[in-house]
Amino acid sequence: MQLCIFDLRRGQQEGQELDKILFFFPADLPFATQLSVIGLSEGLITFTRIFSPDAACEVIEAERHSHVFYEAESDIWMVMVVDKSKESKAACQVDALRKVLKEVHSLFVLFHGTMRSMLEKETSGGLIRSHLYPFITDYLSGKPLFYCSIPKAADFLTGRKLQLPSFHDCLMERGTVQMLTVGREAAIEVQSLVKVLECSAGTTSCYSLVLFQDLLVSTTLSPDDTISLFTYAVLRLTPHALSSGATSWSYLQRTNAGSQVPALSTITNSGSVSDNIYRSQNNCQVKRPLHHNRWFRGNDGFLASDIWGTDNGSQTSVTPIVYLQLTEERMYLCAYQHKSLTIILLVPVSSILNGEQGLSLVKQQVLENASLKMLMVEEKLSKGWGGENAYHVSGYRYLLVDDERVSRASPPAKVMTLAKESLLALSKLREEVNLEKKRAKCSNKLEICVRAKNGAWVIARTSRGKELYMVLEKASETLLYAADSVEKFSNRYCSGVFSLD
Amino acid sequence: MSSSDSSSSSASDDPNPKLKPQPLESQFQSSLTLEDSDGVARTDDASVAEQQQEQQDEGSGNGSVDGVVNVEDNGHRDSSDREEGIGSGEARDGDGGSGGGGGVVWRRANSEVELEVEAPASPSSSGYAGGRGSSGASSASRADDASEEDEIEVVGNDDGGAVGAPDSQAEWTPGKRHVDEDDASISWRKRKKHFFILSNSGKPIYSRYGDEHKLAGFSATLQAIISFVENGGDRVKYVKAGMHQVVFLVKGPIYLVCISCTEEPFESLVAQLELVYGQMILILTKSLNRCFEKNPKFDMTPLLGGTDVVFSALIHSFSWNPAAFLHAYACLPLPYATRQAAGAILQDVADSGVLFALLMCKHRVGTSLKVISLVGAQKASLHPDDMLLLGNFIMSSESFRQVTSESFSPICLPRYNPMAFLHAYVHYFDADTYLILLTTRSDAFYHLKDCRIRIETVLLKSNVLSEVQRSTLDGGMRVEDLSVDLQQHTGSTSRVEDKPHTETPERIRESSLVGLGGPAGLWHFLYRSVYLDQYVSSEFSSPINTHRQQKRLYRAYQKLYVSMHSKGIGPHKTQFRRDENYVLLCWVTPDFELYAAFDPLADKALAIKTCNKVCQWVKDVENEIFLLGASPFSW
Repeated sequence: MQLCIFDLRRGQQEGQELDKILFFFPADLPFATQLSVIGLSEGLITFTRIFSPDAACEVIEAERHSHVFYEAESDIWMVMVVDKSKESKAACQVDALRKVLKEVHSLFVLFHGTMRSMLEKETSGGLIRSHLYPFITDYLSGKPLFYCSIPKAADFLTGRKLQLPSFHDCLMERGTVQMLTVGREAAIEVQSLVKVLECSAGTTSCYSLVLFQDLLVSTTLSPDDTISLFTYAVLRLTPHALSSGATSWSYLQRTNAGSQVPALSTITNSGSVSDNIYRSQNNCQVKRPLHHNRWFRGNDGFLASDIWGTDNGSQTSVTPIVYLQLTEERMYLCAYQHKSLTIILLVPVSSILNGEQGLSLVKQQVLENASLKMLMVEEKLSKGWGGENAYHVSGYRYLLVDDERVSRASPPAKVMTLAKESLLALSKLREEVNLEKKRAKCSNKLEICVRAKNGAWVIARTSRGKELYMVLEKASETLLYAADSVEKFSNRYCSGVFSLD
Repeated sequence: MSSSDSSSSSASDDPNPKLKPQPLESQFQSSLTLEDSDGVARTDDASVAEQQQEQQDEGSGNGSVDGVVNVEDNGHRDSSDREEGIGSGEARDGDGGSGGGGGVVWRRANSEVELEVEAPASPSSSGYAGGRGSSGASSASRADDASEEDEIEVVGNDDGGAVGAPDSQAEWTPGKRHVDEDDASISWRKRKKHFFILSNSGKPIYSRYGDEHKLAGFSATLQAIISFVENGGDRVKYVKAGMHQVVFLVKGPIYLVCISCTEEPFESLVAQLELVYGQMILILTKSLNRCFEKNPKFDMTPLLGGTDVVFSALIHSFSWNPAAFLHAYACLPLPYATRQAAGAILQDVADSGVLFALLMCKHRVGTSLKVISLVGAQKASLHPDDMLLLGNFIMSSESFRQVTSESFSPICLPRYNPMAFLHAYVHYFDADTYLILLTTRSDAFYHLKDCRIRIETVLLKSNVLSEVQRSTLDGGMRVEDLSVDLQQHTGSTSRVEDKPHTETPERIRESSLVGLGGPAGLWHFLYRSVYLDQYVSSEFSSPINTHRQQKRLYRAYQKLYVSMHSKGIGPHKTQFRRDENYVLLCWVTPDFELYAAFDPLADKALAIKTCNKVCQWVKDVENEIFLLGASPFSW
């Protein structure tokens, strides 16, 4: 797998092509190779614009490689090159791969603001390069960057292969949030908790996100910000994320903690230019929000991390700041955890005058006003919670997507029981539906039922912005029976959206 | 490529060819071919002789030798030739004075020579000159036709997004479109479906829209993309951007590219490129690869001169001829005995040294071909794609289409043997019905002529031709007849069929009108017999009555076909698909494939029942709608 980010507004003069490259993974690839990947990408972006000026190149499909394109910001492109012989399962999952790129970008913007603004702030490109490199490597490898890049440690990388989306993932949807279904009573409790939380901050313009396990309970953020923050929370903040980090990475953590800066310069040995690229900003402490195992639960219940350093005066961790996409407003991110309940409170930086001190006051307020409510909400939600398989519907393997933002699916363990043929057929069908969606925008009703070679029914339905994908392996032979099963599911779990009028 | 239509020889009985005004180059052309008809390859290039030898070894006749000679000639003249451009007739004339010694062969002239090399064996071979003269003249008249086509090109525009597409297929006229455009024109960029053929050195060979010469730069870009990826040890298949797809197909030294925003799946587009390549092989054989081995800068446009009408007709057919994606051919419905009679006489002929004998007819609308009967010599089998390409070649070339004329032309069947030329004798019995006799022998003209006379006598005696005409008028299966059929034979059940329980007021109104589809909202169907390599398609009926709607339905079928046959996991067994336009039902079994289109509001249960009825119906009449038994595949 290769992943690069380049800016078409840079390096347009001969001899300065390297200036285009903002990021390239793996970094130890010779520059000639890096430039050739970017050259081909750039060439095809220009070429396709002849015919399709509004939507330039999205994918190059070759016999051995797929190049997946994503224009993250205008003229800033992310391109992922997948080797089909090595990543055969990921091949052809173009839409899923593009969603990976989209996710990386939205997470980056959440913590660092847009790439363009960073480039404008520091035109040499050194700043953004020094940020992108650790950020994306953390994201991709799920491990500290220095293990990926030192040639000697190469076997670490091969030993832990990157998990790219594959056809096995066709019953899930990246870039959406998963919601917890809550009863009426619990919903009212949550509602009042949210009110108390936002009042505690003492300002009206703060936002909150409530999660139970890895599921969203409530949000007052815009949909896009919700998705970014939810993604981050599930990656690094929820109890599940905290514990998995502790178990699988503790060894690496212990032996290498603190060696971050020397490692950064080690990786740059591969070339003199990259030396400049990555070292130039070393003194200006690059924050790595996706760095593993850096979040822990403090004694007060608030989550803390040393990623952003420690406050000189109080010896407490510095609270991270995130950017809201629409308003570009900067917000302090405070996360509180009680058992399975994770609460994220975003407080405008502008409303807190004296930094960490001011924040700790806010936190105190929250604890005073809301801790009881949080206990109650947690208890209520736990009672109603059906466990891992809460959303399993026996006999069905399904994915339900609402407005491309919210999704619910059969639990992964249940999806695993499906035959490879069924999954391949569904993943192919999803591709077809994606094409139709692109053509017609959401408003169309579409119903496709395919009986695959192995006898499984693979079904896709779209209606009023909702999508339903389903595999029925044990359904009977007839189309009518399969259609009937969908109808029943639709009536019971989708309030009849997919039922025929 | 020139825009004149001069793709094949035609020993036409045109009574007064000389009366037609001849453009300068045509006059020159006939004089040149006269010189050439001496049969002397005027060249000192040793490799040419070598080529001739190779060609002969492969069993192709003199024709291809001449063709290759010309190829080489042009290879040498390449650059100057290109610079000349179109309409520099005077310069050519001047050059022509110096004779054929230096390999003076021009694009149009060349193509004429290349494809009419069999003239020595033509009916007027008592005097080669006479035969040549008349063909030169006929090409002149064809050039006139071409210019007429140019005038109405806007009306005839088929896929053009900018200009309104015609709603009737009848308005489509073959030939090159929009020659004035190039890649800088907005209108060119907005065309929905481009096709390009180029050489691996980036030389343009064919472009569906625009002038190839003006597209040299664009062509070089395409070449650069392909070779850039190739240099990385890979091969580019397609590029997607928005609704656009750029599909690449590399065939040795030939690159084919399609740029489309028609939403056809990649698999369909690449299959279409394969057919375009096949069409080129049909005209030139695959031995042209050697020309590229010898001279990578080889310019083959002159070889294909005048054949762009063949390519445009093929590309046009992709939008409405299901044979292109089904890889099957259609038969004209005929009483079993009639087809038997036709088959018997063809078989007679086949036993006397004819490789394939095909009796075909033109569909009422457009130029789709339907087989009346076909017979192959022992063990020889004809691939449906070859039939499509052969039919397209013959029907799109004006020269073949003159009733009562007879033509003899070298052609290659890419699926049968891509390396060698066969020789096709073509004769039209009437405006719609024609006979193709294929042989490996280049001197078989008189024999084939005799065969044709025998066949014609029998066909007239046994009334086959009148039956053909009647059938052409009557058309094929109609979905409306399905309900009638059911009422006659299955009484009570048909009443259920007629009243789908999801009926909306609109539907009741529709089904109460005559000619609005068949039972349960059935609008159309395609049935492909897997063993026979044949398909039958119902006649279009309301509401699928405009060309635009028919094209949309074919595209939907095509998409369904690809979806059902998806690589690696296919074929699927069944598919039901409902969108805003149709309910489509597809059923694939080892014996047959059924594709049916219904009203988008059709009831699922009734649609399934109706599909079963269609299958039964087809089986009931298969004697009449398919060519059984006598097919070459049973040998």
